[in-house]
Amino acid sequence: MKTIDELVRKAVSRRSFLASASTVAAATVITGCGNSGPATTTPAPTTTPAPTTTPAAPTYMDADYLNFALNLEYLEAEFYLRAATGSGLSTADAGTSPGAVTGGAQVTGFTALQQSYIYEIAQNELDHVRLLRGALGSSAVSRPAIDLTNSFNALAIAAGVVATGGTFNAFANPMNYLIGAFVFEDVGVTAYHGAAKLLTSKSNLGVAARIMAVEAYHAASIRTQVLLIDVAMPGSPYLEYANQISALRAVLGGGQETAISADTIVPCDTTNAIAYERTTDEVLHIVYGTAGGAGVKSGGFFPSGLNGNISATLS
Amino acid sequence: MANLETQHLDSIIASRRNMIALGGAALMGLAFMPRANAATLTDADYLNFALNLEYLEAQFYTLATVGATIDTLGLGIASGDGATPGGTVTVKNANDYASCKVPFANALVSSYATETASEERRHVSFLRAALGSSAVAQPDLDLVNSFNTLAKLLGIGLNSFDPFASDINFLLGAYIFEDVGVTAYAGAAPALTVSGNLDAAAGIEAVEAYHAGLVRTVIYGLDQSATTLGPAGTARSVATSISHLRASADGSNSITASNPQGDDIGLGTQTVMLEGTTGLTASTLVNSSTTGSLNPASTAGGTSGSLTFTRTAAEVLSVVYAGGSAGVGGGFYPKAMNGNVK
Repeated sequence: MKTIDELVRKAVSRRSFLASASTVAAATVITGCGNSGPATTTPAPTTTPAPTTTPAAPTYMDADYLNFALNLEYLEAEFYLRAATGSGLSTADAGTSPGAVTGGAQVTGFTALQQSYIYEIAQNELDHVRLLRGALGSSAVSRPAIDLTNSFNALAIAAGVVATGGTFNAFANPMNYLIGAFVFEDVGVTAYHGAAKLLTSKSNLGVAARIMAVEAYHAASIRTQVLLIDVAMPGSPYLEYANQISALRAVLGGGQETAISADTIVPCDTTNAIAYERTTDEVLHIVYGTAGGAGVKSGGFFPSGLNGNISATLS
Repeated sequence: MANLETQHLDSIIASRRNMIALGGAALMGLAFMPRANAATLTDADYLNFALNLEYLEAQFYTLATVGATIDTLGLGIASGDGATPGGTVTVKNANDYASCKVPFANALVSSYATETASEERRHVSFLRAALGSSAVAQPDLDLVNSFNTLAKLLGIGLNSFDPFASDINFLLGAYIFEDVGVTAYAGAAPALTVSGNLDAAAGIEAVEAYHAGLVRTVIYGLDQSATTLGPAGTARSVATSISHLRASADGSNSITASNPQGDDIGLGTQTVMLEGTTGLTASTLVNSSTTGSLNPASTAGGTSGSLTFTRTAAEVLSVVYAGGSAGVGGGFYPKAMNGNVK
């Protein structure tokens, strides 16, 4: 027995060593993009002008994709922090000369269980903002202007949740809030999934895959909770609201949606059961709340557009 | 009620005692687990490793929902080149597959199980198609002794565990697999060299994370109505014990005083601070690093929180072999996995 105990102690101390080593590794993760300058678009060839062809797509660097993700994390962090505490990101976390945040308020009436979920997700999204800002260093974009009032109203009207001229206050009560959360989480998964293969640094890719999974945990929980509202309150409209929003996201963002039901908690393709992905353009169309091809630069949740090189749609 | 920290102290002491009681063999497997050399593995090796995991998940959920094995539903389990037949699946009652169909009491849990089963079968089919003739056969799987061994290792007074016995047992069985799947795919993704493989792996990883989030949300919710496994504790505390066991068994990022959950977060509560508002009691639905009280900010540095954990292939093996040695197998894979990662 003594020998075995000795082995346990050795194993424990070896594991402690590994644990501290990996903390150091974690601290250095996704560095290497911090000093990279903004991406420039690939210059069009000068020798063979072809005026009728579409210009080459810009070449984005890892920092551009990470800043794109940072914009989305700012949005999620503001949405959850304001609901949780009534206050949004601190000056330190929002960057230099951040955009204004319209709307958002502490949500009252949560059950203790729901409240604990919201605190957890708020912390996760705040951590993601800090992680990406830290990794991007001086290249990190500041928080863009964010609208949590008119965005939801327009989205709800477009989805058919409310009639034209109506309003949808995502912070009015716990049920509305869950519907608001549903707007974001699945989209986050598709955005990170779409970007993963475009990242050139393996460590950036590894971090993106890990943030994506956190968003998928959130998304599963939100989808499950929306379904449970319907179970607890048969005939209530919330499940239908969520699925109307899902349908709208499909229209704006290139399909890639599965409605919520007891049999379809996971949104994924029905052949291989692989989660959906979206291009940056498809994500932009959703968060700008605007369909219609190239040249969309702002709208919806981002009234002044995203900050960074990926902000206007190219398709 | 015990919080995660105190539960962890209880369970680490108990599981340590149990490992010692079970003898040195299991322990040697943990302490001297060789780490696979990532540089020598190809995309096909990683995909076959994933296929071994998906065979296990697909069989587990299909037995739970249909009472039959996946090959009887038309899925291939032989190697892609046809040279190696699929392995056996050991289940209770002298391999009475029909007896594995869970007598679900909750229609929602039944629906979740059915959905998950179909998605895991699709992952098997997808990976087999992607690998073509390189696909490995299903290895021998054990869904009896594996769960019993793990139950003993939990150190909470369980000497056996039948994941097919009830809704809550089924959910805890699922809990064992899903978070591990996420860490396995997240760990392997950066090692894949072909963009299409990476894209698919990320997409499967996300589906496993949806499954894990679903299972954790349901157990967490059911626990509020005091669902228990009797003396072993509430569903939530048993799940937490499973996380502690995985955190210890994988041989990395161990549980320490300043990092009381190691690299696997159970189901409980944590105290978080949100932009100056302190003392907020949050859940732990997400199995990720956290800057909350479970992993103080001094450890996380404020910038490394809220990422799911990763495991190397060797670390995943040490979990699913339940203490068995690399290359030899044990737990769910009594004769090890098939392929170059085993």
